[in-house]
Amino acid sequence: MAMEKRLQKELQALVNDPPVGIKVDADQIGQNLSEWLVNVDGAPGSIYNGEKFQLQFKFGSRYPFESPQVVFVGPNIPVHPHVYSNGHICLSILTDDWSPALSVQSVCLSVVSMLSSCKEKKRPPDNAIYVKTCSKNPKKTRWWYHGKQCYHSEYKTSLLGMSSMGINT
Amino acid sequence: MATAADSQDGEEATPSPNSSENGTFECNICLDTARDAVVSMCGHLFCWPCLHQWLETRPTRQVCPVCKAGISKEKVVPLYGRGSTNQQDPRDKVPPRPAGQRSEPENNTNFPGFGFGGDGGLHFSFGIGAFPFTFFASTLNLNDGRPQPPSAGTPQYAEEQFLSKVFLWVAVLFIFWLLIA
Repeated sequence: MAMEKRLQKELQALVNDPPVGIKVDADQIGQNLSEWLVNVDGAPGSIYNGEKFQLQFKFGSRYPFESPQVVFVGPNIPVHPHVYSNGHICLSILTDDWSPALSVQSVCLSVVSMLSSCKEKKRPPDNAIYVKTCSKNPKKTRWWYHGKQCYHSEYKTSLLGMSSMGINT
Repeated sequence: MATAADSQDGEEATPSPNSSENGTFECNICLDTARDAVVSMCGHLFCWPCLHQWLETRPTRQVCPVCKAGISKEKVVPLYGRGSTNQQDPRDKVPPRPAGQRSEPENNTNFPGFGFGGDGGLHFSFGIGAFPFTFFASTLNLNDGRPQPPSAGTPQYAEEQFLSKVFLWVAVLFIFWLLIA
């Protein structure tokens, strides 16, 4: 109930006063507020300028106390060191650093800002293995937020294993 | 950007019945007008039920949802608007919000600090705690009302000399142990 009321308010605010480059289609969302598609434009001046992306939000009943599931969907998944080719995003505010004061809008802006700070289009180093082994729900992945690099936990353990064997990664 | 915001403000200036004014008094969690409002030490406003639920969600890492400052149940201040208490009593499910803290105003009638008054106020005491040092400290207490030491030659004198040496050795061993440990 609290979740629906808050989502209603967020939707209204996004439709009435959308930030630049973020569009949400209220008709498509309709009655089922627990799943949204948000259209996001690559920021002008960044290497994603002119590209269009789509983010899918899934809200649990404990939203906003728990973070939504956020993934890139659709034909264009941005090529970025923190975005896996299945659309999963490694971004700390989506799990550990979530706060109920964040919103769909602030998450979208954070994702756009994450994209904008990137200098080189590159998949995460562990993309192939992650995409094969991961859960459908990105919140089930145990991410290691590690400065510039982003690892899911299995990759991290294999990295640690390699370095303990004397292999420099 | 600025012009867009300005024109938006211009439209908002006409009174709209259901939108709250500027969102200044909206809870940062439910985005509704805060009810049972509390404010954190960092100045952020919440409904008490909303904030309580958030604190319950992350019991080990309690941070302000807005600025991530440390926050706790004891350190939020309830806001009491005029006449707001008799509107409803919503303290049925969540624990009641913490009470405000009221401290007495300070009165400076006496000279502050040194109250040598009739209440027998001031006590100083000096002391060094660890055992071997109290040995030295006790030698500094002059004329403190203890009985005089027994005169030389009596068996009590010899006994006290012996005890004194024993304690001295204990102290020396203790210091030695402290040094090598």
